[in-house]
This record gives sequence, C-alpha cells and structure tokens, in this order.
Amino acid sequence: MPIQGIRTVASARNGVGAFILQCKQLDFHYCDWAGSSRGMVAYLRHHLHAFAKANPQIEIRVSPRPNKHPVIRGVFVNGREKVICVRNLEPEQIGKKANLLREASGEKLKRTTKPVTSINESVRGIWSPYHGGLNGV
Amino acid sequence: MRPSLRLLNLEVPSLQGSRALYVCSGCRQEARPRPIAARQFLRHASNADSLSERVRRKIWGTDNPPGEKDPYGGQGVLERKFSKQQPPKQEEVAEQPEEVEDLTLTDASYEPATTWAGLERVGHLNRWNDYPRSEADTYESFAVKTKHNQKGPLSLAAHQAAVEICLMHALNKPLVSVCDVTEHEKPIFDMIYECKIQPNGEWSKALEYPNKRTQDTLAYIFEQIGAQPAAPAAEETAEDLVEASELEENGEIADEPASDSQDAPFFGYQDVQDEGFLSLPLTDAVTKFAYLKRFSQLSGHYFPDPIMQQISTVKQAVAYAQGELNKKPKKLAEYLAEDQRLLSLPNVKIFDKRRTTLHRDDEMGRKKIIEAALRARGLL
Repeated sequence: MPIQGIRTVASARNGVGAFILQCKQLDFHYCDWAGSSRGMVAYLRHHLHAFAKANPQIEIRVSPRPNKHPVIRGVFVNGREKVICVRNLEPEQIGKKANLLREASGEKLKRTTKPVTSINESVRGIWSPYHGGLNGV
Repeated sequence: MRPSLRLLNLEVPSLQGSRALYVCSGCRQEARPRPIAARQFLRHASNADSLSERVRRKIWGTDNPPGEKDPYGGQGVLERKFSKQQPPKQEEVAEQPEEVEDLTLTDASYEPATTWAGLERVGHLNRWNDYPRSEADTYESFAVKTKHNQKGPLSLAAHQAAVEICLMHALNKPLVSVCDVTEHEKPIFDMIYECKIQPNGEWSKALEYPNKRTQDTLAYIFEQIGAQPAAPAAEETAEDLVEASELEENGEIADEPASDSQDAPFFGYQDVQDEGFLSLPLTDAVTKFAYLKRFSQLSGHYFPDPIMQQISTVKQAVAYAQGELNKKPKKLAEYLAEDQRLLSLPNVKIFDKRRTTLHRDDEMGRKKIIEAALRARGLL
C-alpha cells in the first residue's frame, strides 16, 4: 500500500493550533546621564523583572546608549524591527509601549477601510469575461 | 561750472568773519565746513595740495609744472581783498625749524625695536586688564594646593582643625581667624599633633595637652592669630620657638617622621594618634562654620550648603570628605547585574557597554566571514 500524505484540509493559522508570539526580542536602551532616561531607568530597576518573567519567550536585552534618548526596539519573527522612543516617559507609560511591541505582529501598519477583512478566498471567485452570462451590446 | 561753494572758499580763514555777507541764514547750515575727508576732493586749484594741483604735477612729471596754477582764475575778488587784510601766516614757518631740531636731537644710540617685547603699551582704555600684572593681582588659593582623598591625611586635617577650634574656644577668640594661617610650621604642627581630644561634648574643655609647656606655647601662638593684642615681646616668641626646637632635638615628641618628608603633606605624618575628635558635635552654628571652613582649607574639600546642613558631627564631615556621605551613583548596568531577580531569568541579558553592529555580526556568525574577506584582501 503506497504511502499517502495527509491531505491538508486547512492552512496553518497562528493561534488556531498553537500561538507563536511574533515578537522574539526586545532591546531596552537607556542613558545613565540624560534626564530623558529617568523613567526608563526606573522601569528597568523596578518593573523589568516582572515583564521578563511574564514573557519567557521574548529575549530581553538591556544595554546603555550613552547621550541618546531611551528606546525600545522590538525584533519580530518576520525579520522586521520596530523602534519606539520613550524619552521623558513614566515607567507605566514605558510598560504600555513594551506591551505594544510585544503584541505587534511585526507587519507594517495598514489602514483598514473595510469592515471585514479576511485572507480566505472569495466564495464567488474571481470574475472572468469568458464565463457567465454574456450581455449583448 | 564752478560750484557756488567755491565763492565762499571756506578753507580760507579770512572769510570766516565775512560769511554773513554772502550766505543767508537759511543757507548757512549747508555752508558749514565739511569734514576733511570730503574736502580732499574739492578741486580748488588755489590750494597747493589740492587734487588738481597733484594731477598737474603728475601729468607734467615735475613739482613745478608750467602754466597757471589755478586754471579757474585763483582767488575771488573778495578773497583777495580779505587776504590782504590778514597778516601772513607764520605757523608753517615756525614749524619747520622744530622738525629740524627733532632730527638733530635724535640719539645716536637709538635702535629701532624689532619685537614688541619691552615696549611701552599704548593705546589701551585704562582698564584693569590692560595694565601689567601687579603684586595685588597674584592669586593665592584659600585651600591647600593638593586635595587630600586618603583616610590618613583627612584624619590629620580634621584633627588639626578640631585642635585649633578647641584652642580658639579656650582662648575665647574669634574662631574663623584660625584660617588666617593656612599651614603652620613643623614645630607647631608637632605640638598640635600631640594634643588629644576627649569627647565630653564641649569644645572649650575637650582639648588634652601632652604637657604644660605645649599648652603654654600653643596658647601663646594662637593668641597671636587674629586680633593682635598689645605685643608683649618678640623675645617670648623666639624663646618659645627655641623651646619647641629643643623639644624636637630631645626627641620628646613621639612618632617623628623622616626628615626628608618636609614637603610631604602634614610633614609626613600618616595618621592621627587618637580618634576622639570624631565624636565632637557640630550643633553650634558658629563652631560648625568655623570648623568646616578650616577643615575645608586643610583638606581641599568644598562643603556645599545641603551637605553642611546634614553634617552634625566631625565624623560626618570626615565621612563626606572621604566620599562616603554622597557616593557616586552606581551605573544602572552594575545595579542590574547584581539584581538576583533578573539573574535568575534565562531570557534577560544585561550589557554594560553599548551594542554595536560588530557585536551583531559576531552573534550572527558574520564576523568570521568578514575577517576572512578582509584578510584575503590584505586589509587585516
């Protein structure tokens, strides 16, 4: 009996069987001297361990960036990066920005104009001039 | 066409009195003498140094060109009339012999300067910074030249300041005047070094002298500091110093440092004998100010106002000078590297240096390839 592959009945969708977080790395950059990093330094001192413990699948890197504003850089599975400047922000605001990068897909932002978006094929199919009823001119 | 101003010929002084004859009051304002720069371009041929005369000389190539000097006819009628009334000028005639005298009076040994060095400075605005430096302009620092950071010199400075303030308290003299003498001589410092301080809470009674002679000597010496009393005699001072030197020679002063340490701070002493002065209180504002001022002068450490407010004992002042009271803030990387909560997490990496593209190439495995390519090209 020849071996037959299992016929796919549905394409893989992230989150249908398993969910893989698209953000794989977060870099936290700060400056020891500048005042715009005050909130960032406080966040790294007091809140980073809780965030890192809650997200073990994200690699978290903390490194100084002297004489520059503090930033959070997110590296995503699709190879793209997103950077958010968090200068002069409070630790709570920085936590929200880190969460924003964590939940991002890594894709570019798109404007949604239709009420429903789907990656499934249309049930009606693509229109063809050679099929269907021909209208007389 | 000759300008109308030509008729006035304002350069001729003889016309000054006759100006009202020609010019109405309305035009008089315009007829005022012009600046020299503007008058240089007036083509008055009657003037010997006028532009037209110089052009004539240049064209003919001689100082006495032929032809009429003033092609416009010379002076006007009125000018000639008034010039006859004026006596002939004698100023120019009088000036010429002076120039000749100046030339004859020049020194034969005169040599023109080739550099500016040594020349008198002229042309300044009489401001302070235009004058050369005087003795009053020399700067002498209030504190010692070298700032002490080690524990031993700082303790010695604190001890010396405490002994001196105690002495001034006991003598009932203004405390701040101890700063008048920045550094004492070695015999005096030896006696100060020998004194001990018993922490009984009062500055005036805390000092403990090694012997009566030291007490008398120090009392006499510090009596001279500040407001000078009626000088008893200079002989006593000399006697005291002689006694002090005798003490030195007899070896009565213990822990004498090496003789080659005269230039060393605190004459080579390494540390204090007892630390009783550390518990002295600095609650009194006058004593606190005087002590911190003297300690600042001896140690080279400046005490800001907020720190001065915090300090209440001598020990705290010494601790501040040693850097224990306001330590340098630890860098965040050092703090995070010691945080056990972060160290226990496997997904957290702490770096103490900025991450560059070289680090990224190393992590991605591109560094070896890049280096190999550079070596192949002979660039590495």
